[in-house]
Amino acid sequence: MATIRIDPVTRIEGHARVILEMKDDGTVEYARLIVNELRGFERMLVGMEADRMPLVTARICGVCPVTHTLAAIQALEDAFRVAPPPAGKILRELLCMGQLVHSHALHLFALGGPDLFFGISGDPARRSIVGMVEAAPELAKKALRLRTLGQKVVEAVGGRGVHPVTVVIGGISFDLAADALASLRKQADEMLALARELVPLARDLLLRLVEREPNLLKLEVRAHDLGMVRGGKVSHLDGALRLVSPDGKVAEEFPAREYADRLVERSYAWSYMKPVFFKLGGKDALYRVGALARVNAADGMETPLAQAELEAFRKAHPAPCHLTIMHHWARIIELLWACEKAKLLLGDPALSGPARVPVQITAGRGVGCVEAPRGTLIHEYEVDAKGIVRAANLLVATQQNYAAINQSIEQAAQSYVAGKGDQAVLNALEFAIRCHDPCLSCATHALGQMPLEVEVRREGTLVRRFGREA
Amino acid sequence: MSGKLRLNTEWLSVCGGCHVGIVDLHEKILDVLGSVEVQRCPVLTDVKGYPEADIGIITGAIRNEHDRAAALAMRRACKTIIAFGTCAVHGGLPGANLAHSREEILDTVFRRSRSTETDVLPASEVSTLEKMVTPLDEVIPVDLYLSGCPPHAAFIFDALVALAHGRPPKARDETVCAACRRSMVKTDVAELRPNHSGIPDPGRCFLSQGYVCLGSVTLDRCLSPCPKQGVPCTGCAGPTMQILTEPNRDLRTEVAERMRRLTKIPAGAVVSAMEASAKTHYAYAMATRMIGGKPTFLIKKWISDVEAV
Repeated sequence: MATIRIDPVTRIEGHARVILEMKDDGTVEYARLIVNELRGFERMLVGMEADRMPLVTARICGVCPVTHTLAAIQALEDAFRVAPPPAGKILRELLCMGQLVHSHALHLFALGGPDLFFGISGDPARRSIVGMVEAAPELAKKALRLRTLGQKVVEAVGGRGVHPVTVVIGGISFDLAADALASLRKQADEMLALARELVPLARDLLLRLVEREPNLLKLEVRAHDLGMVRGGKVSHLDGALRLVSPDGKVAEEFPAREYADRLVERSYAWSYMKPVFFKLGGKDALYRVGALARVNAADGMETPLAQAELEAFRKAHPAPCHLTIMHHWARIIELLWACEKAKLLLGDPALSGPARVPVQITAGRGVGCVEAPRGTLIHEYEVDAKGIVRAANLLVATQQNYAAINQSIEQAAQSYVAGKGDQAVLNALEFAIRCHDPCLSCATHALGQMPLEVEVRREGTLVRRFGREA
Repeated sequence: MSGKLRLNTEWLSVCGGCHVGIVDLHEKILDVLGSVEVQRCPVLTDVKGYPEADIGIITGAIRNEHDRAAALAMRRACKTIIAFGTCAVHGGLPGANLAHSREEILDTVFRRSRSTETDVLPASEVSTLEKMVTPLDEVIPVDLYLSGCPPHAAFIFDALVALAHGRPPKARDETVCAACRRSMVKTDVAELRPNHSGIPDPGRCFLSQGYVCLGSVTLDRCLSPCPKQGVPCTGCAGPTMQILTEPNRDLRTEVAERMRRLTKIPAGAVVSAMEASAKTHYAYAMATRMIGGKPTFLIKKWISDVEAV
């Protein structure tokens, strides 16, 4: 039995590496993405003031801090039975859309974009945002502008872009001034115009990539999909969780508060990250979260351009689509939706009302659930009568995709290991990980390539080693 | 490319927010690129290894062997090293877990979590958990410090432009109060108010209103977004130099003294309340010896007192 170890030298949310266990016939027995870091937020949060949770948990991730902030506040408001006023709700949703534009634009154009543009077997030296700026300066400039606009929405509503500060129990800590609102409206118009221009370009790049690399259409994980829906439409802040079976039937729809009855975290002896499964008929069912899972789970999109894009997608790939590469198309749909939705929110007359109500803290337990750019995020807190956190539980998106990521790596290795060169294997494994957009990949994939080391072993002895340096 | 300042950046154990903070220079990034040549940068470029550079920006704290090796490689390659962000400077928020043992952390995550059902603790292929967080300058010499979680783009821009023009960055030592527009007034407030209670007066200093705000003891690397938007400062850029360097000064005693003068709340009540909330107030900087090493800093005792209730 041979073992292939792939050690990314740079950190993937800490340190991660891939081990492929090979059978004697040269096929892959299993794939393991090993996560070698544990920050232990669940322990750290205990003993802290509940009102700090939005600020503290933002520090879990600098790319999507808004999502943690919002999940935390929803959990606390659930525990204290508090509802923010309409203006507070609208501003939070706007914050969420701003971050979605920033994150999806960053992924589509800066991180995953180089794959689409140059192909996954393209010259790694050019396969980066820098290469894209050289090859298509106008496209790259517009894409980066789109990301900037999304982040400026977060800055205006959240007080700052990274680790926003204005989300408080009972609403948003300030009322939006008229001039700030006017400039936000202008930015939202520009955001939507840019998205309309860039979306067809991104879609064409994706379709051409699939034509060039038909092997990508073998990367399919037939799992359940989990995503939030409101009135059947994709929603990120408010709604029920819906599980759709691999053949497209709604298996369950439930309030996030009941997550612990259905979702179960397990553990592996070889990783600090806990995978999550769905308890279905007494068994652990594999499921995925994220943009593709969300559009698979929903009946449609709530805005016209996003709905049209979803229909085009479903025409090409009937729902539910399990092709890992089509995460990109799902992101495109959501990017359009976020821009349209931001404009709608900014036109809501309720925005002129107060954004915050005073609250009373009582002992309680509450669950908050938000769709992060990378998938469903759940926070749960138990708070005592003094407002101190007594227990905290966090289920992040990447954990829920963990089992599916391992399966994708295995498939990528299976279809590329035999008969292809080392570079193609490295590219394919990297691509399989990156398609899931795990939070851990935001740390590495902008490099154009992950620094990987592959060791082929037979009965513990090194047979050969290949890879590329950090 | 001669004449341009050569820049390497690297991230260690970090949330990634500092690098997003650099990208958030937005349009100004073009000005920076006029005088700075970005070489290695984990977000933007595909430069491998550690090319020789004039400036090295390191974000994140040291958590494992990889972080250590990367910090040493950056030190060898770069003439000037900037510890960038509160994690690199003081250990940052994850330092709050220094209050707990590794066993406690593993036990909470794998055995006591409500949705976790397992009998397996990670043991093979993974390394034993190290000390949670070590600030950068305990591992390599650091030339410049820019704390902030993340630092505001204005400070990043000034630092890069200043270095490109051969002048030292404006190492301002103002506190968060500097950019806060609230007025400090004497009041008859007699009791501390938890941050979540009521809706604070937007024009008046939080301390005057009885809310604990760390603005007056925190270095301004943010341009004060919290007090400007109705939220008391939580100290994410770390303490001022005065508190870091003078053994008889501390966050809780300084805040207590100000509140005593501004309100009718006794200083002792503020000190006790801040000790009871120590994990919150000291989270960002307790990993640095300048805070964690103070003989009066009894974080484990304060926390166990609170959790025992």
